Amino acid sequence: MKRGELLGSLEHIILLALVRLDGGAHGMIVRREIEERTGRNISIGAVYATLERLEAKGYVSSFTGEPTPQRGGRAKRLFRVEAAGKRALEVSEQTIRSMTAGLKDRWGTI
Amino acid sequence: MSRSSPPTLACWLLETVVPTPYREAILGDLIEEYTLRTESTSRFTASRWFWSQTCRSVPSMVWSSLRSRDCLMSMSIAMSVYIVMEILAYAADLTISKWVAPQPTTHVILAPIIFLTTTAIGGCVAARFRPGATIVLALMVMITVAISIDLKVCTIPVPWWYEFGFLTLGPLAVIITPRLFGRSKQQGAVT
Repeated sequence: MKRGELLGSLEHIILLALVRLDGGAHGMIVRREIEERTGRNISIGAVYATLERLEAKGYVSSFTGEPTPQRGGRAKRLFRVEAAGKRALEVSEQTIRSMTAGLKDRWGTI
Repeated sequence: MSRSSPPTLACWLLETVVPTPYREAILGDLIEEYTLRTESTSRFTASRWFWSQTCRSVPSMVWSSLRSRDCLMSMSIAMSVYIVMEILAYAADLTISKWVAPQPTTHVILAPIIFLTTTAIGGCVAARFRPGATIVLALMVMITVAISIDLKVCTIPVPWWYEFGFLTLGPLAVIITPRLFGRSKQQGAVT
């Protein structure tokens, strides 16, 4: 992760969902996990567009699963977080923590 | 459409706009979820969910497609097919007006046939290379017909519906013919 380059909000959430799902998950599972935990009803297109971006940055990697009849004979694309993705999450977490440090008292007055 | 088959038009839309690397995965995910939803809710509710996902996914996918080279490739294919289509139409038009039927009235009757035949062939050829190219080609046909109408390229007086027919049926022929002849690479329905 380049200095000063932060994860976008959706990128951050999707990476966290992938870490939670551990081992490899496809887009719909990621979408469901986010919906269950945050209540955000995001589209499958937005999930895959973000995953594509994360893959291009080297934060996640993907592999193709077996096609199944339930999917109309289409193969799954499974994603997992790479070491660079975990580092990016750490950097984002640290940045948020240092920016929010000591601000909790002020939130009530904003 | 069987109980577990998702809306065909929505599938076609996704097949058309979703970039190649994720097309299979997105459609597969949606079909799998749709099948699960039809088991717990009504088909109408599941179809509404499928359509909502499709409509909300299209903008992200179009943007993603523009960022990748997929859209550029579709545009190149559409442009190449369009040039060949225009050459064919011009040759047919010239042959008819010179040798077969030089009278203007016959030309007015034959022009839509030539136009629709070339656009239909163009649509099939474009869909064979890439389903997304048909949408671009349909847009190109619509724009050029609109410009031709505006510039009054046709010197023979014709009723408004004649020109309107070119404007609507041309792009429709590009999109619908590949589906009718099964040339498009879609695998929309679950069997």
